[in-house]
Amino acid sequence: MTDEREITLTVNGTEHTIEVEPRRLLVHAIREDLDMTGTHIGCDTGNCGACTVLKDGEPIKSCLMFAAQADGAEILTVEGMEDLPEADDIHPLQEGFREEHGLQCGYCTPGMLMAGKALLDEHPDPDEETIRDAISGNLCRCTGYQNIVRSIEYAAEELENRAAADGGAVAADGATDGGPAASPEGGHAAPEFGGDADTFCGREDCCGGPDGADPFDRDALLDDAGDADDTADADAGTDANDRGDTK
Amino acid sequence: MKSAPFEHHEPDTVDEAVSLLESLDDPTILAGGQSLVPMLRFRLANPDVVVDINGIDSLDYLDEGDGHLRLGALARHADVEDSDLIDEKYGSFADAAPLVADPQIRNRGTVVGSVAQADPKGDWGSILLAHEGEVIATGPDGDRAIPADEFFLLPYDTTLGEQELITEIRVPEPAPTEGSAYHKLKRKTGDYAMAGVGVRLVFDDDGVIESAGIGMTAVDITNARATDAEEHLEGERPSPDLFATAGELAAEQSNPESDEHGGADYKERMVDVLTQRALSDAAERAGTVTVQRRVTQ
Ligand SMILES: Cc1cc2nc3c(=O)[nH]c(=O)nc-3n(C[C@H](O)[C@H](O)[C@H](O)COP(=O)(O)OP(=O)(O)OC[C@H]3O[C@@H](n4cnc5c(N)ncnc54)[C@H](O)[C@@H]3O)c2cc1C
Ligand code: FES
Ligand code: FES
Repeated sequence: MTDEREITLTVNGTEHTIEVEPRRLLVHAIREDLDMTGTHIGCDTGNCGACTVLKDGEPIKSCLMFAAQADGAEILTVEGMEDLPEADDIHPLQEGFREEHGLQCGYCTPGMLMAGKALLDEHPDPDEETIRDAISGNLCRCTGYQNIVRSIEYAAEELENRAAADGGAVAADGATDGGPAASPEGGHAAPEFGGDADTFCGREDCCGGPDGADPFDRDALLDDAGDADDTADADAGTDANDRGDTK
Repeated sequence: MKSAPFEHHEPDTVDEAVSLLESLDDPTILAGGQSLVPMLRFRLANPDVVVDINGIDSLDYLDEGDGHLRLGALARHADVEDSDLIDEKYGSFADAAPLVADPQIRNRGTVVGSVAQADPKGDWGSILLAHEGEVIATGPDGDRAIPADEFFLLPYDTTLGEQELITEIRVPEPAPTEGSAYHKLKRKTGDYAMAGVGVRLVFDDDGVIESAGIGMTAVDITNARATDAEEHLEGERPSPDLFATAGELAAEQSNPESDEHGGADYKERMVDVLTQRALSDAAERAGTVTVQRRVTQ
């Protein structure tokens, strides 16, 4: 057997000394030894990005590195976001994901936030392509990415506004731009779920569903059930197109 | 799954690493770990000893010298992606770097580790072949330069000795009339290639192709050269017809396997297309006349 070894990890500004076997992965050290379960394990093979953390400022997949290799390193995990200098209550990126509905199940979110943080540190004003590239190592099985891109855009704008405010200028409130008109009656196109006054259902923690319907209104939901087939068809169409693209 | 237990050694110098490789039983070198860590986890690799080279600072370089572009064993994919030197002079490297895996993996994975891994789907092997580069290995008997053509044997198998460490890969500095390019087809961002083609063209002063190198990814048991196409190009002037025939010859020489992403016929056709695209980019970058592409994007 191999000996355990003492290593020091500075995680979110706090120094931790732990004993690890050489085969201990960084992600397991973070989750199990340090009990910070915000960093997720999705695939265990380097494909999904749910385990992304910043090591000395750089995004890496913590399932592809041994803890001993991070000895002496500074690690940032999702738990540390709210304590960063640019955070108020929570970090502007987290705010963005909330405002723009950048998550559904939330499994990918910690990794997305870390990838987003690394991006904004380097490119404070990224275009869509740059954002998509920065999150290309992070899989999301729920959102279709659109709202994640918007969430990061929101954070970039918010950070810019704050920087302007700090510089003495009056900050514009990015969230109150004129939103899209309410979606047509019964229509499910609803392109923006940005928490705008027009489509907002009024419930604080609403799912932000397509037409801002009350998620607990069973009758309304049953009424909508007839649409399910249409949705399935649309999905199948998209899939076929995707496949066509590669050929 | 967890890796089997192993001893972790972190040498500071190449000499130290080599003496560890020599003296310890069943050692494996750990560089970026982006291929090795999953292999350890799945217990496809079960070494007793891991020699981690990340602390050998002298191996962390990407520069020109001795008439070569030289990448030390700790040059990461991201270093290539971010390098101005690469952007200015090495088209194929600049094309390939952002197409390797994803940003997180590019921050850790090394170019040399990728070559050492000898995965036929790895991108850098094709570029090394196209540029007729060399692998510089250090072992108990000192240094040796292994020509790229003599390096890859089988999937995940090379002519590197068990007690040898690759310190560097190198490719000749480009002539003024040289251009290179890399094209890759992948199912989605972050994936390995379904097919990839790296090309290097050197022209003489009259615009005739003096030498051509073509390396192919994911369409044979190793990264492989398209020698028939190379021969067809040499001594000729670039033209759409010339490149089209070269594409066909490369496709004929490739040996892809059908899998869930595409049939062998389809992949051969893609080798043809990618070869033509890479040739026309390389010719353009060499500063010769723009060659109209027969196959459009
Ligand atoms: C999700 C995912 C997607 C990927 N996509 C791509 C892709 O699209 N294209 C691509 O090319 N690669 C891809 N890779 C692989 C990636 O490029 C790896 O970085 C690379 O294959 C190995 O480099 P490494 O530095 O991580 O080496 P390691 O994983 O540390 O080592 C790999 C092998 O090389 C040996 N080795 C490493 N360095 C040396 C050395 N200096 N001397 C001797 N032997 C050495 C090791 O012993 C081991 O056997 C992907 C990997 C993952 C996880
Ligand atoms: S758990 Fe690390 S990439 Fe999926
Ligand atoms: S929100 Fe569910 S995986 Fe992204």
